[in-house]
Amino acid sequence: MVPPFLSASRARSGGVADLSMSAVRSRTPLLAAVFLLVAGACSTAEPPRTGRFVSSAWARPADSGATSGAYLTIVNADSSSVELVGASSPVALAAEVHETMTHEGMSHMMARTAVAIAPRDSVVMKPGGLHVMLMQLTRQLVVGDTIAMTLRFSAGDTVVVNVPVREL
Amino acid sequence: MPPVSFVLPDSTAYALGPAPGRPLVVFFGYTHCPDVCPTTLADWKRVKAQLGRDAERVRFVFVTVDPERDTPEVARRYARQYDSTFVGLSGDAPTTARIMEAYGIAAAREDGTAASGYLVSHSSQVFLVNGDGNLVALYPFGTRWEALAADLARLL
Repeated sequence: MVPPFLSASRARSGGVADLSMSAVRSRTPLLAAVFLLVAGACSTAEPPRTGRFVSSAWARPADSGATSGAYLTIVNADSSSVELVGASSPVALAAEVHETMTHEGMSHMMARTAVAIAPRDSVVMKPGGLHVMLMQLTRQLVVGDTIAMTLRFSAGDTVVVNVPVREL
Repeated sequence: MPPVSFVLPDSTAYALGPAPGRPLVVFFGYTHCPDVCPTTLADWKRVKAQLGRDAERVRFVFVTVDPERDTPEVARRYARQYDSTFVGLSGDAPTTARIMEAYGIAAAREDGTAASGYLVSHSSQVFLVNGDGNLVALYPFGTRWEALAADLARLL
């Protein structure tokens, strides 16, 4: 099921999520307001037709020079599958998509160079699973900050997301 | 659990051993870890909030299994990011080996990329040790934080 990502992403992130899609930009403010109300009532907003949509993004606080992890949900609204093939952020010298695996008490991480998202499906990055590893931070990330992150997809498109920094 | 002594960045000693009435919560990880270790420390913060003033008697301790990159100061700052009372420890190689053996911790370097450097796979349980130094419970990664909070409440 496609989650009510359109307005829900705004509602959950306090309006900081950069939806970066023409479908949203073309909507009137009045319509956007209606969507917010709909999200508040836990209903499903009208799904957009194409593209990638990101919601529920957040990143962990970390020292300058250290490593942070970012989590988000990506919806692929296309009728064909797509792969997330890269991520970057101006606050990190490098970013990689990793997945934590825990087996018999040992946790380890695997780099994921391509994460497939089926047609009209979503991928949820969350603690203990998929995440974006933000490495060699160029500055300290503190709770309340917002950082930009670019996600790159196999279809050649990119999505820029504003990611709030928080602890949980 | 056998006591193990660490040296803090200010050159004072920190003994990880029995302390009557003061349970010990320990986790082993590394500061380049973006997921499992922060998740655990963030959970501890919730545990501490849930316990209220009683939590002042709990010793929450993060021990690095990557002392080569995590200096005592780096480990200290890492733990304190979550709560100013959380203790972050980095021992020299013999100290690290000693405490890992005492707690049955495994850790192994794995190849990363040029950017990430090496990654470290590691035992990811949280240990609860009572004030007498006896192991009370183990919480595999992924255990809800409420379980630790409830067990601590019974110990305190």
